[in-house]
Amino acid sequence: MIKVNNLKKKFGDLEVLKDINIQINEKEVVVVIGPSGSGKSTFLRCLNNLEEITSGDVYINDINLSGHKVNINEIRADVGMVFQQFNLFPHKTVLENITLAPIKVRKKTKQEAEEKAYKLLEKVGLVNKADAYPDSLSGGQKQRIAIARALAMDPKIMLFDEPTSALDPEMVGEVLSVMKDLAREGMTMVVVTHEMGFAREVGDRVVFMDEGYIIEEASPVTLFTSPKHERTTAFLSKVL
Amino acid sequence: MDFRIDIIIEYLPFLLKGLVLTIGLSIGGILIGSVLGFFIALGKMSKVKWLRLPFIWYINFFRGTPLLVQLFLIHFGVMPLFMSPASTIMSALTALALNAAAYVAEIFRAGIQSIDKGQEEAARSLGLSTSQSMAYVIFPQAFKRMIPPLGNEFITLLKDSSLAAIIAAPELMYWGRAASGQYFRVWEPYLTVAFTYLLLTLSITYLLNNVERRLSNT
Repeated sequence: MIKVNNLKKKFGDLEVLKDINIQINEKEVVVVIGPSGSGKSTFLRCLNNLEEITSGDVYINDINLSGHKVNINEIRADVGMVFQQFNLFPHKTVLENITLAPIKVRKKTKQEAEEKAYKLLEKVGLVNKADAYPDSLSGGQKQRIAIARALAMDPKIMLFDEPTSALDPEMVGEVLSVMKDLAREGMTMVVVTHEMGFAREVGDRVVFMDEGYIIEEASPVTLFTSPKHERTTAFLSKVL
Repeated sequence: MDFRIDIIIEYLPFLLKGLVLTIGLSIGGILIGSVLGFFIALGKMSKVKWLRLPFIWYINFFRGTPLLVQLFLIHFGVMPLFMSPASTIMSALTALALNAAAYVAEIFRAGIQSIDKGQEEAARSLGLSTSQSMAYVIFPQAFKRMIPPLGNEFITLLKDSSLAAIIAAPELMYWGRAASGQYFRVWEPYLTVAFTYLLLTLSITYLLNNVERRLSNT
């Protein structure tokens, strides 16, 4: 579903991703962990071309993102993304936030889009907030709306960029539980997070990144209990 | 000091005609200036360096030289290439619009760039194109922030339109000068003109405050 070959990313002279190779299969939940500055968010943002790739290839469903005739908007429509800072549209109601892209990109009618939106709001437990503006919501509620907004496009892949890092501790649970439901339903997910509990419980595979490289990848049990690399051990000893 | 109200009464029809032209020049100037300014702002934000240059220099020129000089260049230099004799009203409108465009462009650019980068990223990640993101996500938010500076620009433009009197475009100030010249009086015509400008600018301020209040409630 996702294939990354020799991915490199430079910001000016700073090489953030040095040589990333990974393949992610359908319905797989891959959790990316690592110290800050390790390049994990940049890696995630390369998967939908929010960061332009310096060299290497990223394939989404066998389509090369840096190919010449690729319509990046079409690919992005199939790849949902959830941000650390939620990035809800503050000038639109919750319902409008969710229906904007389905109407403008998928060319759904307003009614179709709203029906779908209400179903998703039910799923994330926020039907009563349909007409509220984002400013009036708590962080946890905002992030659940952001997830619903991404799901409204019927994405085949969901990318999560530290979705709980900006939340008050008591709100982390409600967001993780929505993500767990999603994983259970068979969504292909790539999750950058510091929530080791989530990685262990939901992840099919955990990827440890450091200094622009994938140092180690394994099932959660293997990676958390018997990591092969020193750097993994050192990182885990700090966060576990 | 005697105050000859009869001069004002005699010139009232002309002052009113001038007032209409002043309002016309200002509204026309800000509208054309806004449309031009929007595209100049987009041009200046282009990712291609050489494409930005002409827009940067447009802004540099029109903000960095006096409006009066621009007015003369346009009226005595550019306009005669297209019409003969050059229409003073057309010249005034052109100069005001081109000048306003430079300031409006910077207002638009600042407004657009003040919107958090995450907004565009969220919109693009949902599959919206660059122009869709601009139209539905960035611009509506930026516009709210642009209203106060745009209002200021409109007020400046309205006052600057009085410079058109110097090329004899028959706007408010022109008729004030005419009355002053005919009777060798200063206070009656110029106080009347000043008071009229003040009335206009205060009305705009009042209107803009209302618009702002209404927008901040949504």
